[in-house]
Amino acid sequence: MTAPKRANRKEIKDKDFELIRAINAGQFDRFPDLVKRYEQKLYNFSLRMCRDAADAEDTVQETFINVFRYLKNFRYETKFKNWLYRVAASTCIKKRRRSKFAPQRELSLDEFYPQSYTEVQHQVPDWAQMPLDKLLSNELLDKINEAIFTLPEKYRLVIVLRDIEGFSTAETAQILNLSDANVKVRLHRARLFLRDRLKGYFENE
Amino acid sequence: MSKDEHDHRHCLELFEKLSEYLDNELDEVTCKGIEKHIKECVPCFVCLQTLKRTVDLCKQTENRMVPEDFSKKLKEVLQNMPKTPPAG
Repeated sequence: MTAPKRANRKEIKDKDFELIRAINAGQFDRFPDLVKRYEQKLYNFSLRMCRDAADAEDTVQETFINVFRYLKNFRYETKFKNWLYRVAASTCIKKRRRSKFAPQRELSLDEFYPQSYTEVQHQVPDWAQMPLDKLLSNELLDKINEAIFTLPEKYRLVIVLRDIEGFSTAETAQILNLSDANVKVRLHRARLFLRDRLKGYFENE
Repeated sequence: MSKDEHDHRHCLELFEKLSEYLDNELDEVTCKGIEKHIKECVPCFVCLQTLKRTVDLCKQTENRMVPEDFSKKLKEVLQNMPKTPPAG
């Protein structure tokens, strides 16, 4: 596995480089430090992608095994975290292809655009204007997680990387080997999909 | 607002760009155009607010702890990997 081709040529500053250089220089006993830094994040990323805890554990394990195998190929042209998520996303996608999931569904913008006057909202609903801390509940968080799981994988990958993991559009594009424009399109549709699910939840409450 | 007014192309154009607007990824002219439009178009303003809240809620989803058993197993698996990783 090689570093992304579109990596930025200018010098990248990354808190992980020192550790990676040490590991690549033969200090293999420091690899667990790298695992410790990212195990929690990767586990939660994998859970959001796989849903099943056993599959998420397999994904994390496969990802770290691949990182261990291919760390020598890391070119320091991108942040290590971005490279790591590229490996993890690729592992998730391969895992899905081996499984018996339903075929991918495309989300079109039309399905989220109000088709009739009756569908148009003329007032900001309470859930969109009340203070966030008053709105949040375990039930709501479960509902959001559930809605994320129902997103087709290619949209879920983008929204998880952008809105939950906090990667920028450019970083997400690099991780998933997509154009920036494609990331933006998928993100917007994923958000509209979740918004519709939340609307449904609050309207039926 | 009539049905015809909401079918206006500005509404559809704005609808396509709402996420980029929320993410500050649009140029100044486009942003100003959107801000002008949502001041005049309540449904588009509602659309923006509900989408913004969706993004805010997404960011609130909680992380789970890594199961200790798995953490231990992962450590063992990695410790048993050959200590001379292939270069390519």
